[in-house]
Amino acid sequence: MLSLSGITKAYGPIRANESIDLEVEGGQIHALLGENGAGKSTLMKILFGLVQPDAGKISFNGTAVKIKTPQDAKELGIGMVQQHFALFDGMTALENIRLGLTVPPENLRERIAELGNLYGLEVDPDALVLSLSAGQKQRIEIVRALLGDPMLLVLDEPTSVLTPQEADLLFNALRKLRDEGRGLIFISHKLGEVRALCDSATVLRAGKVVGTCDPRETDTDVLAEMMIGQRLSAQEKAPKSFSNAKVVLSAQNIETRDGLRLDDLELHEGEILGVAGIAGNGQDRLFALLSGEAARGTQIAGELKLRDEDLSIIPTRNRRAKGARFVPEERLGHSAIPDFKLSDNTLLTKHSAENKDNTVLRRNRWIRKQAAQIIDYFDVRGGDANARARSFSGGNLQKFVVGRELDSGLDLLIISQPTWGVDLWAASRIRQEIQLRADQGTAVLLISQDLDELMALTDSLSVIANGVLTAVRPTVEWSVPELGRAMAGELEGMVQ
Amino acid sequence: MITWEHRESVGWQTSLKSIGIALALTLLLTFGALWLTTGMPLEAFWQMLTYPWQAERALTQWGKALNPAFYLSLIALGLSISYRANVWNIGAEGQFAIGSVFAFGAWLLLGMPNGLWAIPIILLSGVVGGMVWAAIPAALRTLANTNELLVSLMLVYIGAQFLFYLSNGPWEMSAAMKPVPTRTESIPDSLLFTSVFSQGPKLHWGLVWGWQVYLVVAALLAFTLLGYRLSVANQSKRAERFAGFSPVGTIWIAFLFSGGLAGLAGGIFLIGDTGYLVDQSNFLQNYGFTAIIVAFLGRLNPLGILVAGLALGYLEGGAGWLQASGLGDDSISGIIQVIALFCTLGTATLVTHRISWRGNP
Repeated sequence: MLSLSGITKAYGPIRANESIDLEVEGGQIHALLGENGAGKSTLMKILFGLVQPDAGKISFNGTAVKIKTPQDAKELGIGMVQQHFALFDGMTALENIRLGLTVPPENLRERIAELGNLYGLEVDPDALVLSLSAGQKQRIEIVRALLGDPMLLVLDEPTSVLTPQEADLLFNALRKLRDEGRGLIFISHKLGEVRALCDSATVLRAGKVVGTCDPRETDTDVLAEMMIGQRLSAQEKAPKSFSNAKVVLSAQNIETRDGLRLDDLELHEGEILGVAGIAGNGQDRLFALLSGEAARGTQIAGELKLRDEDLSIIPTRNRRAKGARFVPEERLGHSAIPDFKLSDNTLLTKHSAENKDNTVLRRNRWIRKQAAQIIDYFDVRGGDANARARSFSGGNLQKFVVGRELDSGLDLLIISQPTWGVDLWAASRIRQEIQLRADQGTAVLLISQDLDELMALTDSLSVIANGVLTAVRPTVEWSVPELGRAMAGELEGMVQ
Repeated sequence: MITWEHRESVGWQTSLKSIGIALALTLLLTFGALWLTTGMPLEAFWQMLTYPWQAERALTQWGKALNPAFYLSLIALGLSISYRANVWNIGAEGQFAIGSVFAFGAWLLLGMPNGLWAIPIILLSGVVGGMVWAAIPAALRTLANTNELLVSLMLVYIGAQFLFYLSNGPWEMSAAMKPVPTRTESIPDSLLFTSVFSQGPKLHWGLVWGWQVYLVVAALLAFTLLGYRLSVANQSKRAERFAGFSPVGTIWIAFLFSGGLAGLAGGIFLIGDTGYLVDQSNFLQNYGFTAIIVAFLGRLNPLGILVAGLALGYLEGGAGWLQASGLGDDSISGIIQVIALFCTLGTATLVTHRISWRGNP
């Protein structure tokens, strides 16, 4: 039914899709598997006419087609249910559906009821969207797509917002659609549900197709390995024992109001502890808890200690004064202010109690000198201390931010996604600096989605899924299938 | 295609240029407004501009512009601290009123003294009064997440009623022949600020003392972390927390500073300009509201606020002079204020952005 061949799309130096081939048959649910950043979303945007490919061909029902706009896609018979709903909260379900259609049918209300009955996707047409659950909102999106009678329906991570019961209802509807001979593309990184639902699968990794298979007959471990890659052997770090090193950061039985759970974690001097996980599984909450940005009262149970002090009552500024530094994932608006000069951005974290000169007075000369030193040492290119942060490339700004935080004699470094969106050269420089600090005795907690990075840098590893951290184990003891299952939240002993 | 582009670097020249454009636009529209209302825009404008300097008026009239200019800039400086941090205190009028109430109350509590030693206490009470009134929207915002803009505005009317009640009720002067409108006792002449000049315009020492507070606060903004903290808060809440500045603390700083300065203005007004409390329509001069315009006209910058305060102080006087000369109505000042505000806000975007006429890339 659908055949993509040689689809290529690059964003600057990043190749989001590289000569991708994909075949989907009618009467089939085809899974598109891959980690975050593997290129799934870009590929589906190309299919739906939201993005134009640099190269490659699309053929639909045997004829070559060009899809320039979503309207083209709809006319061909391709429907899409996005991961994030495009619904107006203040309108009813019926009004939302009508808005999404170019030519709404006369008997729209009846058609909605009909489709609802047929596929078990009942929608109350007069309910205001804001009063509906995520599952009900998704039904509106699906019904809206089905009203166009699509031959091919694409669902982008449809179960990420659903309860297990809602997911079961969705699967029934999808099976019914398949049995009518329609083609479906099911995008997910949850291996369990892909194996239960899908008839065929294409696995993407780093913008390329790494394989196709029948998920019903393929082992979860094999799928995980395809998704993540066989990377453990190549860049393994020599195992080190930290049993004699002093503990810098420790966390016991922590629970937070926003659903973070951290049972047991000890980070020693000179150790790099990695936290792996797919984006949006609680990494932000973990960072906020450790940096002190989380609102007071977020932590409702457990003990968080820096050396021998209860960290939970120490505000961010004083954590810095005690030798801790933090580098969040987001640069613009979090670790740096886009409209500030680099020199003013330097002051952002350099006014804590240990920099006594800066607690009251604003010493512009000292600040400019600091900024110039960072720019010089970390080879930040694209401007001087007077240039605004927003005018730098991601890599150069990140080098500046990391440089700002990596003072000498650090006790603890919490660093999240340090090389996300950063060019290779800057990334390797940043990793080098992290390793250097660890060698000097700094305890480092590295939150990352990049498994290569984690394998190359960390001594021990935990995985975060649905806000829950697994037990910490030496990095060398993790197997790829285990990592894959843990990242999907399916490791034994993990609470969903 | 016309697009907005971010300027990569912003120099003071750009700022000056945008202010120049704003000024030119304001003048143009002002002429338009004067033409519509008087039919003789040039004469009317000339009259507004030169009246206080005509012949012997020059001796006294320009004081009438400086007096409101002082109050406007002092209050606006406080408000600018709040607006820099994206905290919207628009209730300075009420904080001014409660500032004078506290100042007068302090004089009563001290036993109605007539020694000069009481002046610092009275003025300090004015500051406290403004802060207390500003603390209400701050507390409601930080504890109950209410909208500080609405709460601070509504408290203006409550504060004004409070002033009215006290000057007509418990604190009303006891005399056989009561003046109209009824008012409180007068603070004795020995305490009232005397005029700086023995002859000429009436400018009292209170303005000079208040001026020094203005300089101190402006220096705080320029040389300490306070100004930095406010601009971080203005740019990004997330970066503010990351830096270790508590957003709740910033809201309190913003309200206490702006309320305190408005309260100080109220105290100075009491012992420099009236000497007693009287009902709100005779006491309140709208300084607290006009100061909002002054803060924005001055681009939240202490120097700019000073210039804007002078301009609007002059305008208030000038509109009166226009009416006195029989050419027009003094309500024109409100129209010109709004024209100036729109032109300034409109061109402010030019400081950080430029208009690009290039075609689609």
